[in-house]
Amino acid sequence: MIYIVTALPCEASPFIERYGLKRDDCRHFSLYRGQDMSLIVSGVGKMASAIATTYMLARNLKPGQAGGEEDLAIINIGVCGALHRRYLIGAPLLIHKVVDHETGKQYFPDILIEHPFEEGSVETHNHVIRRQDVLSGRVELQADLVDMEASGFFQAASRFLAPHQIYVIKVVGDYLDVADFDRQRIARCISRTLDAVDGFITQIEGLCTTEGDVLTSYERRQLEDVKQSLRLTVTQGHQLMDMARRYKLRTGRSLPDLSEFIQIEVRIKAEGKKAFERIRRLLLYE
Amino acid sequence: MSKFSHIYIEERVAAYPVAQHVLSRFPGSIRIMIRHYKDVFNRPHQDFRRQKASPKLILAVKQEPFLYPGPEVCEDFGNQNFYYTSPVLNCIYDCHYCYLQGLYPSANLVIFVNIEEFFEAADRQLESGPLYLCPSYDTDLLALEGVVPYASRWIEFAGSRKELRIELRTKSANYGAIAHLKPVEQVILAWSLSPDKVAQRCERLAPTLKARLTAIRAALDDGWQVRLCFEPLLKVYDWQRIYGEFLDEVFSMIRAEKVFDANIGVFRMGKEQFKRISRMRTDTDVFAFPMVCREGGVVTYEDEKVMRDFFYQHLSRYLPREKIYG
Repeated sequence: MIYIVTALPCEASPFIERYGLKRDDCRHFSLYRGQDMSLIVSGVGKMASAIATTYMLARNLKPGQAGGEEDLAIINIGVCGALHRRYLIGAPLLIHKVVDHETGKQYFPDILIEHPFEEGSVETHNHVIRRQDVLSGRVELQADLVDMEASGFFQAASRFLAPHQIYVIKVVGDYLDVADFDRQRIARCISRTLDAVDGFITQIEGLCTTEGDVLTSYERRQLEDVKQSLRLTVTQGHQLMDMARRYKLRTGRSLPDLSEFIQIEVRIKAEGKKAFERIRRLLLYE
Repeated sequence: MSKFSHIYIEERVAAYPVAQHVLSRFPGSIRIMIRHYKDVFNRPHQDFRRQKASPKLILAVKQEPFLYPGPEVCEDFGNQNFYYTSPVLNCIYDCHYCYLQGLYPSANLVIFVNIEEFFEAADRQLESGPLYLCPSYDTDLLALEGVVPYASRWIEFAGSRKELRIELRTKSANYGAIAHLKPVEQVILAWSLSPDKVAQRCERLAPTLKARLTAIRAALDDGWQVRLCFEPLLKVYDWQRIYGEFLDEVFSMIRAEKVFDANIGVFRMGKEQFKRISRMRTDTDVFAFPMVCREGGVVTYEDEKVMRDFFYQHLSRYLPREKIYG
């Protein structure tokens, strides 16, 4: 599952069109959904980006269900400014360092896969930065590129996800010399990167795919039935699942038949404990 | 991705020759300037397993402390002042049972470039008397000799300190990288050995048993003091036969009388590390056997003593008992 966070509708529109994303009825954000992709338009600024990112990720969490985030990746995509003209307009860069200008803090995605992009660093500011601000020395840059969302996005995402699940792609839109942004020009800049981004998304999906549980779904159901029938405590329940997985890893065989433990009627705690001890011997010592 | 595709560099390492040496080995790597190695090494929620597939290098300057008291779970070989030091964090091999995956939040390699300060710390400790120091616990210095020449630096350092004894622990077959050095009495080269079946299954990226034995034989022929580390002993199917035949194979290639000493260690690990790693490693049966938690919070097999005694009996057919530790 891929989540995309953009600041502007014109940054989002090429993705909406490319992936056939449909508008969600979310009241709080412009949110779009496809089969394996969701996209949210956050608005401009690091706070807006952080809020939208948190909203997307928190919605994914189901109460009482541990984990579930392992198969996710989230990408902040948008235009940025560059001081140096060695970066061509329209060039997409995969960011390996995000700097928050106001706090000075630095954030690092984990880049563990091959990709077609040049890499660089981006510095996130609260205000629009003009070329003259930098050249005059009023603003000191510590990164290759300038934007207004990446650090907010990254901070929010890293509360939920591992650094190999969080990506920032910035497309050079100007040389810090644009007075008003041109929506159509921005959309064109993003559109031209779609093929490369699409290939990269496929790579990310491969990286983030989790290995299946060593237990089959039938075995997990049977174990749940045993937990219920023996009225195991939460700790005993975890121990049971752990022993079952170890049995399979150790022996390479399916679990032994546990149906007798599902048919037991436990009236007092001691009976449950005795039955649990029998299961322990069965799973650990065979 | 290519090896060490990215190198994170603390701003203050620029002045250190070791940093320049390492960077010159990887001219194609992407260099990323950072303020402190922990900004990368200690990021939350890192995935150790995924990072092992594409580890990065981090060049940093270590602050005090440089030496740590030797851990209780490790053999001191009768030495009084037993310390270890970590000029490099993490290893290029990927062993299923390795404690490092439960110790560090990241699989990336950290090279501390201020090696002279490590030496100064060792000299300060030597002022209190003889020192037994192990610089290759949390890494494999011989395996990394081509990246950063710390094995040879430690050998040269120890060569001029009569009261210092160092152990360089390795699984590498890279003896050739230090073969040009004259054997130093203060240095023990210590090879970790496992049966071939175990090494193939559980010691990913490490050289075969035969390759390690070939390196050991060359080191012994050159006059080095060599320690054989039979740890961890792992509970595998038919372990008695496998470990019995293993010792026969070892001593068919190595002359027992030339071996300095040996140690035996059945698989054991701190309780918290065991819990953390066993949850992470669902691709191996190393953590799948009945375990007990012994005094001191160390987890090991229920029949640890049986395994240890069996191996000791077999090893003592080749080595005198006074040379066997553990």
